[in-house]
Amino acid sequence: METESYTNGGVAKEIGVANTQTIRWNDFVLRFLAFVVTLVAAIVLGVGKQNELVPVQLVPTLPPINVPASAKWSHMSAFVYFVIVNAIACAYAVISLVISLANRGKAKGLSITIILMDLIMMALLYSSVGASAAVGLIGYKGNTHVRWNKVCDVFGKFCRQAVAAIAISLVGSILFLLLVLFAMLNLHKNRCH
Amino acid sequence: MASEPEKVVSPVEAPVAERPPEKAAPPPSTTQPTDYFAVADVVLRLLVFASALVSVVVMSTSKETEMLPNPRLAKFTQSPALIYFVAALSVAGFFSLITTLGSLYSLIKPGCCAKIISHFIIIDVLLLGIVASATGAAGSVTYVGLKGNTYVGWRKVCTLYGKFCRYLGASIGVSLFASVMLVLLVLLSVYSLSKKIPK
Repeated sequence: METESYTNGGVAKEIGVANTQTIRWNDFVLRFLAFVVTLVAAIVLGVGKQNELVPVQLVPTLPPINVPASAKWSHMSAFVYFVIVNAIACAYAVISLVISLANRGKAKGLSITIILMDLIMMALLYSSVGASAAVGLIGYKGNTHVRWNKVCDVFGKFCRQAVAAIAISLVGSILFLLLVLFAMLNLHKNRCH
Repeated sequence: MASEPEKVVSPVEAPVAERPPEKAAPPPSTTQPTDYFAVADVVLRLLVFASALVSVVVMSTSKETEMLPNPRLAKFTQSPALIYFVAALSVAGFFSLITTLGSLYSLIKPGCCAKIISHFIIIDVLLLGIVASATGAAGSVTYVGLKGNTYVGWRKVCTLYGKFCRYLGASIGVSLFASVMLVLLVLLSVYSLSKKIPK
């Protein structure tokens, strides 16, 4: 607690300036970075589209017919889950940034709620990364045991975009992990003074 | 401050007959009040370990052979995502066993290693990330096997290998339960940290 006194027209006033928690800068920076990264990941996969002409052999005697096929993120349920979770994480990063700036450590229940929501968002992001990576790996290598053919040799550009989006989202989920760890560290530091 | 009335009373010796039994009534307490946080901590960790173990065992024993023109075998080793699931949940089970034993030891001997116990929460958060990603990977592969995907020409497999898919579904459900327990564990630790209770 710092107090400063000054005289104003002969009347001495004392202003107590409480040294409460200022803005936790690493928290603020991490949330902003997480917002940017998850937004970029959702957009990179969301705008990915590739149209190709796939030769399909209907009858062995006739020449193969070129069938137009397209690859979009909405064709695969794992990618749909990925885009939705990244969009939710992006919106949450903005909302929690605003709330934690307004809160600044005053209401303890709100701080615990924010830590809990950070944790849930981290788990959802990690699961979406795992899901998209698993499906992408099947698309890349195929699976001969269940006769699922690889598609990345035809839709190469879309596969590269998906890999980029997954890598960016992995960075975003690591940022959420760091958010939770820094919040724990802050609680631990404030407890043992 | 409590010793001053004693010094005042004993020279006067007026209500001395009441004092000694009252003084002798509360013995130095050896039993401490039950620390609900520590007990809940051990229980949750035990649940995490048990569900990780069950997931690994169920997934490893999921095998089915179907008599098509050639007998074809479906095993978890045929998919990299399922191999990752088994590996990740084994790691989670191993670390949760270590932390369970640590918490149990700290419950039996309170106050022995509070510093190490307070670091267990980092392990919990990391385990949550690993278990969540493994659940997502196995879940997405099983979902594609269940529903198929007409856009890329992947046919559904679970109509043929029903028992295999049921085992996979059960294993993934149990690992989902494990991740929920991990979230509750971290929430418990955060709550007890914020209440400034020395663990």
